[in-house]
Amino acid sequence: MRARWTSFRQGLVQWCADHPRTVLVLVFILTLAFGSQLPRIRTDTDPKNMLPITSPVRQYNDQVEGWFGLHPDVIVVEIQSERGVFTPEILARIARLTDAILRFPGVIARDVVALPTVNDVSIANGVLQARPILDRIPHDAAEAEGLKRQVLDNPLLAGRLVSTDARATAIYIPIEKSANGKAIADRLRQLTGKERGPERYYIAGDPVARDTFGAEMFRQMALFSPLAGMVMCGVLFLMFRSWWVVGANMAVAMIAIIWGMGLFIGLGIPIHIMASMSPVFLMAISTDTVHIFNEFVFRRREVGDRREAIRQTMAAVATPVLFSDLTTIAGFASLAIGPIIPVRVFGLLVAFGTFVILLMSFTLVPALLALAREGRPIPVSREDDLSSSWLGRIGQACVAWKTPVALVGVVLLVISAVGISKIRINNNMVSWFKPGSEIRVADRQLSRDLGGTAMLYLVADGKKSDAVTRPEFLKALEGLQRRIEREPVVGKAVSVADVVKRVHQVLSDNSPSRAMIPDSQEAVAQELLLFSMAARPRDLNNLVDYPHQKANLMVQLRSWNAVETRALLEKVRRDLTATPIPGAEVKPAGIAYFNMVWNDQVLVGMLEGFIASCIFVFFLLILDYRSPRWGVVSFLPLLFTVVLIYGAVGFVRKDFDMPISVLSTLSLGLAIDFAIHFVSRFQQRYRETRDLKGSLVWTAARPGRGIVRNAFLFASGFAVMLFAGLTPYITVGAFMIAIMLLSALATVVYLPALIALFPQWLTQRLKEER
Amino acid sequence: MKKAVWLWIAGIMLVAWSALPARAQAPSADEIMRRSYLAMYYQGEDMRARIFMRLISREGHERIRELTMTRRNLQLGGEQRYFLYFHRPPDVRDMALLVWAYLGRDDDRWLYVPALKLVRRIAASDKHTSFVGSDFSYEDVSGREPEEDTHKLLREEKIGERDAYVVESIPKDPAREDFSRKLSWIDRTTWLPLKVEHSDRRGDRARVFTAEETENVQGFWTITKRLMKNAQSGHWTEVVFKNVRYNLKLSPDLFSERALRAPPAELVR
Repeated sequence: MRARWTSFRQGLVQWCADHPRTVLVLVFILTLAFGSQLPRIRTDTDPKNMLPITSPVRQYNDQVEGWFGLHPDVIVVEIQSERGVFTPEILARIARLTDAILRFPGVIARDVVALPTVNDVSIANGVLQARPILDRIPHDAAEAEGLKRQVLDNPLLAGRLVSTDARATAIYIPIEKSANGKAIADRLRQLTGKERGPERYYIAGDPVARDTFGAEMFRQMALFSPLAGMVMCGVLFLMFRSWWVVGANMAVAMIAIIWGMGLFIGLGIPIHIMASMSPVFLMAISTDTVHIFNEFVFRRREVGDRREAIRQTMAAVATPVLFSDLTTIAGFASLAIGPIIPVRVFGLLVAFGTFVILLMSFTLVPALLALAREGRPIPVSREDDLSSSWLGRIGQACVAWKTPVALVGVVLLVISAVGISKIRINNNMVSWFKPGSEIRVADRQLSRDLGGTAMLYLVADGKKSDAVTRPEFLKALEGLQRRIEREPVVGKAVSVADVVKRVHQVLSDNSPSRAMIPDSQEAVAQELLLFSMAARPRDLNNLVDYPHQKANLMVQLRSWNAVETRALLEKVRRDLTATPIPGAEVKPAGIAYFNMVWNDQVLVGMLEGFIASCIFVFFLLILDYRSPRWGVVSFLPLLFTVVLIYGAVGFVRKDFDMPISVLSTLSLGLAIDFAIHFVSRFQQRYRETRDLKGSLVWTAARPGRGIVRNAFLFASGFAVMLFAGLTPYITVGAFMIAIMLLSALATVVYLPALIALFPQWLTQRLKEER
Repeated sequence: MKKAVWLWIAGIMLVAWSALPARAQAPSADEIMRRSYLAMYYQGEDMRARIFMRLISREGHERIRELTMTRRNLQLGGEQRYFLYFHRPPDVRDMALLVWAYLGRDDDRWLYVPALKLVRRIAASDKHTSFVGSDFSYEDVSGREPEEDTHKLLREEKIGERDAYVVESIPKDPAREDFSRKLSWIDRTTWLPLKVEHSDRRGDRARVFTAEETENVQGFWTITKRLMKNAQSGHWTEVVFKNVRYNLKLSPDLFSERALRAPPAELVR
């Protein structure tokens, strides 16, 4: 098998070196073919779609929305003024704004909740009033003040539609599923930007965050990917002083990206947030070719003939390139075993791209090396004496101080393990924006004034018709509601119990002591019918279903954090065990709950997939080297990198979120790559020289230089991303740097130390092979 | 009283005239809408029907209302009194709503809540409010004065087997309305609306009324089954009239606050 591969590889490389122009043309045509698919790109930035439509949580959420006529996507506009919003001028502007919003395409006009569209049930002079709160604009301050008192008096509205200090009010705008939240938010900003009053406008809500992120994502990708690419070109040039090398390196990366994206787009697969990061990954993995150029620079000096130099270079690096790429392919492809489709797409896309890189390494790269113009040999580094290079010295030091070095590593791993135990798996899309960004500011403002924008529904199912109108049911529901409202994360809660109490109070001449649930089921039913004669149907339908079998306790959360939702639901569960709602089963739903389940399924799923991939890769390494011992050694840099990074994430209290979960898989591509190059080249050298220490220093100095160059190249390229406008991209930048440096460090420092520590155990077989 | 009789005769003549088969030219849009208004809301001196209402959500969930509706005209095209008595669902049995409808000003409404033995007056400033949670508004139940809109006869066309006038109505005071445009298909023989499409403020189709079944009861054409469908939410309401009777000779005095607490047999049948 190996012999057959070797002869095939040699033939392929030889042919490509002999027919470089043919290879170039062929690659160019294929790249054009794949590239022609790129304009057909379909993107899907809704994180919701990372769970399939058939997933139980999505189906249940859809059901709940159907029962109660709820909309999943709601934009919230807050109008805030320090002197209060109940002035004739501001109210007039709110009426005008609402009227304009009702005409926006994509807005579900009938369910817009705002002062002009919500009916208040009240009593004045013995007459029940049921009309929109802002039926007409108050003429003077006194009238506006009266309106304010009326609204604050209504617990269905205070704290939700109007802040309890009357300094803020909101417009809740449900939008169609097909509508773009950012587009509507932009129109809103245009409108509010024209207002010159004392009031301020804040626009928040999940669709705004999601669609703004979707738009920003591609903008930032388009800005920072080329920028990172340019920085890398510059650094590459400084390293090799040859535009050939720069061009060849970049060409391999671009080809892998175009083929990979082209194939998946051509197959009609939508590009999700995760897959959109694959170009960055492929760029990183393609630096594998740096090893080839690095080796070529050395060989070119040792061997006079260019073709012979190419042949020798490829023979030397073939095994590590093949092993590292195959392992990377297997690692990413194994992500496809998991149930989450965008993770699968991402895994397969990167795996395919890596395969393209592997292919190019044995075809395009030798062709390009053959084409490099004669007469201008690639400049030679002045560091001729390998052992005196700084990498060589590091290698020597690590071998000499092997025990302390290993101990420091063990201590680092132990400390990181403590950090890992502190990791918080959490997802919060709003935090993907910078703290000072409009979206974060608006979200904070709404959480403070109006109970927040994350909706959680607690659906109490009474199992049979008219269960909800039973007074004991309503009283238990109300008890639960009051206890939930005491939780700091809960901004506001509304239930059908509030409606019944409100109607009962109004019917009892508005006496506050009569704000209670009546003791007869008939009275409850009749009060609900009265309410349906006075309010808009949705005001009741949102809270109780048609057969009066299920009640919806609508809870507004001040935070989008999945962990806080989980903590609240745990409290609800305990509360219900202690004081159950008679005959009812309570189940959560809503976007906040969805976010929590998403967190569990996507992030934990990703994490599990990653751990499984690591284990898989470990066994592959054993197979590669046909030795469990060398498998362990070459697996160590990956383990070291991942553990240290996760440990740091735990210590700095950064949430383990989607960008981190995606990026940590990159260590599959890099740490493994470095380790394989190091180990393979060491083994080759050792078989040739039988000098353990010398081989280690040589490996640290020569292939080690490729590794360090590779790492430095990328660290510098992605440092650019630290200046991005979205936190996930900053995370990408920071992570790239961390993964690069840690992987390189683990390889160049720890592998020599470890191999020196257990020479007998490791080299036994190598000696026998000879 | 004399005035009422005269109006009454005029009304009958109007209907009789309209039934004449051949006409030289189409009546004006205003005239069509005026006649349709009378045919829909003012037939007979009084009227009583058992109403079966089904409220159906997009998902097919259903809520029912069964009530007796009695109407008494005080004036053709003018003041009216309504009494609505609930039979079902059982837990709202005996609830009753009394409406005194006027021209040019808000109606008076009173509601009786039997479980609390309480009569309350309700201010009826919002005529767009849903009628007992259905897709019909109060205005759909008791009529919208044609003079509130500007009408335009667009064309004549067949709807099913029926010849109809297609009239476009635009509210004169759009700020006070929840619709921007209304298209009505008015039956050329019965003057009853066969279909009405309401557009919301944005101009999108919002609610669609259709007359599904029409019967001649005591010489009066009556829509006995009608639908109102919310084109946007997918919610719809079916209303079936049974036991329709006209000219029961009910006294206007029956329609009183007292009747709410102890409704006379004539109003609950």
